[in-house]
Amino acid sequence: MTFLRSALLAAALAAGALTPAAAQDAARGAALAEARNCAGCHGAAGISELEKIPSLAGQPAEFITLQMILFRENLRQAEPMNQLSQGLTDQQVEDLAAHFAALAPAPPPDLAPRDAALAERGQQLSASMNCGVCHLPDYRGRNQIPRIAAQREDFLRHTLAQYRDSQRRGTDTNMNAVMYGVPDDAIAALAHYLAHQPARAE
Amino acid sequence: MVRTRFAAAGLLAALCLAPAVQAQQPAAPAPAWAIGREGSGMAATLAPHAPRLTVTPREQLPLSAIRLPQGFTAEIYAHGIPGARMMAEGPNGTIFAGSRTIGRVYAITRNPDGTTRTRTLLQGLNQPNGIAVMDGNLYVIAINRVLRFDNIEQNLDNPGSGTDLTAAFALPTEEHHGWKFVTPGPDGRLYMNVGVPCNVCDFDRDRFALLVSFRPDGSDRRIEARGIRNSVGMDHHPQTRELWATNNGRDWAGNDIPNDTLHRVRRSGEDHGFPFCVGDWADPGAPAQRNCSEFAQPAALLGPHVAALGMRFYTGTMFPEAYRNQIFIARRGSWNRERLNGYDVVVAKLDAQGNVTGIEPFLEGFRDEANQRFLGRPVDVHVMRDGSLLVAEEQYGAIYRITYRQ
Repeated sequence: MTFLRSALLAAALAAGALTPAAAQDAARGAALAEARNCAGCHGAAGISELEKIPSLAGQPAEFITLQMILFRENLRQAEPMNQLSQGLTDQQVEDLAAHFAALAPAPPPDLAPRDAALAERGQQLSASMNCGVCHLPDYRGRNQIPRIAAQREDFLRHTLAQYRDSQRRGTDTNMNAVMYGVPDDAIAALAHYLAHQPARAE
Repeated sequence: MVRTRFAAAGLLAALCLAPAVQAQQPAAPAPAWAIGREGSGMAATLAPHAPRLTVTPREQLPLSAIRLPQGFTAEIYAHGIPGARMMAEGPNGTIFAGSRTIGRVYAITRNPDGTTRTRTLLQGLNQPNGIAVMDGNLYVIAINRVLRFDNIEQNLDNPGSGTDLTAAFALPTEEHHGWKFVTPGPDGRLYMNVGVPCNVCDFDRDRFALLVSFRPDGSDRRIEARGIRNSVGMDHHPQTRELWATNNGRDWAGNDIPNDTLHRVRRSGEDHGFPFCVGDWADPGAPAQRNCSEFAQPAALLGPHVAALGMRFYTGTMFPEAYRNQIFIARRGSWNRERLNGYDVVVAKLDAQGNVTGIEPFLEGFRDEANQRFLGRPVDVHVMRDGSLLVAEEQYGAIYRITYRQ
């Protein structure tokens, strides 16, 4: 790869919106999370121990903000989050996002043992489906795209099926297109592989 | 049926792209926007940018970054409207703005002191990008949903749920490129796009990649142009009444191919070439190879990957005479290109015969070339009755007003 091409690639990776001065405040977000008892479901440090409830620690702030707005506007249906998000101001949403983004990601304590064959198949699927293009090669996510490394396996299975079945969408319809027609056993392999990826912080 | 054909096309593409892996497991189709990416030689992590969905405070808007030709000034007309996109104006001067992800329609009215008031008029809709006002009634088109709100400016505080015209219009249900642009024509019909539900693929050319028109009740669908991949901006020439439209070129063919395009529809129903050709460029990723001279040629090339969206002929008198009947075009800005392109408003200059003689810069400053960052994404332009020009900026949810003084 030539120097010019490397430089272009680096520029492309960095390209993005120049976010105005951060309005969010992680300390305010932590206080709000405590007042609303987010930990009751999502875990004391943002690492969920409950089935089908996602870990939020280390998620990109923009991703959490997007999901909270989709809940509040009833564009994503997932009770009790629709009800719990009513009345939150944009500022409160951004504060919560800053709080959870600042927590250290980790696998859940009840992570099932790794099945080598299943993980291998999940890895091949991830490569052929280009998961790392948007979620980045170590799956830590970026901007509106979530961290999926070390996410709960049952939640990943549930979510991928929701995208496949058009029960959920993101900021666009890319995930619906990615998951179109993907069978349950392929989803299980993907979820297993991703759940066992190391939870590297940024 | 059509859905099945697309799935098959995606399946085929995925199989071709990764045969070794696909041979041992159920095929996973590439996402619609990513088909054609392999082999493009483009950076592997290029992905669409998402707009901010929370309110950006007025003092953080990049007003001071905006550059305009001599004599023009920009001001903030409305702010705190996350995701604001296509605009339409009511008889009493209310500006309505649609959106995509955040699902809202905004209404912006002017206070007696010249400031503006914004309301979230509607919410919870699926990408209500299509906004038009006709005879005092507001038309809102979301994905596969058409609503009409009668006498809307008398009901801004309580618009109700509107009259549902979805069944009459019978638009396709596909989500990808399923959001709409809509504008009234001088003949009293509603003109809109039907985008192609993929990046490039084999599809029914009577159903997708079209410009279509309807009577306002949704009857009498007419194909105005075919072979236009996804148009999110149209206007009729104020003198010739010909329909003009912007069009988004496909992704993953390279940093500089193809161009986004401007189209002039000389005859209702003519074919502009997608998926086979963009001008004289025959797309090697098209389902078949065709001679590009078969198709109507674009009126102008607008730059690769710029996302040329909202466009309007300038019909006011505030701006210098040279702008009269020229076309302002919002270029939202690229994602599928290693160097940013667009993020501005340009003017297409037309001669007396309606030939485009050049594309000139107008509103600049949102693209930070040195750092490859952007400060805003213009998505639509609107000529107000006083001749000033509104520019909707989606990234931080604001509308700017451009005025001219000698």
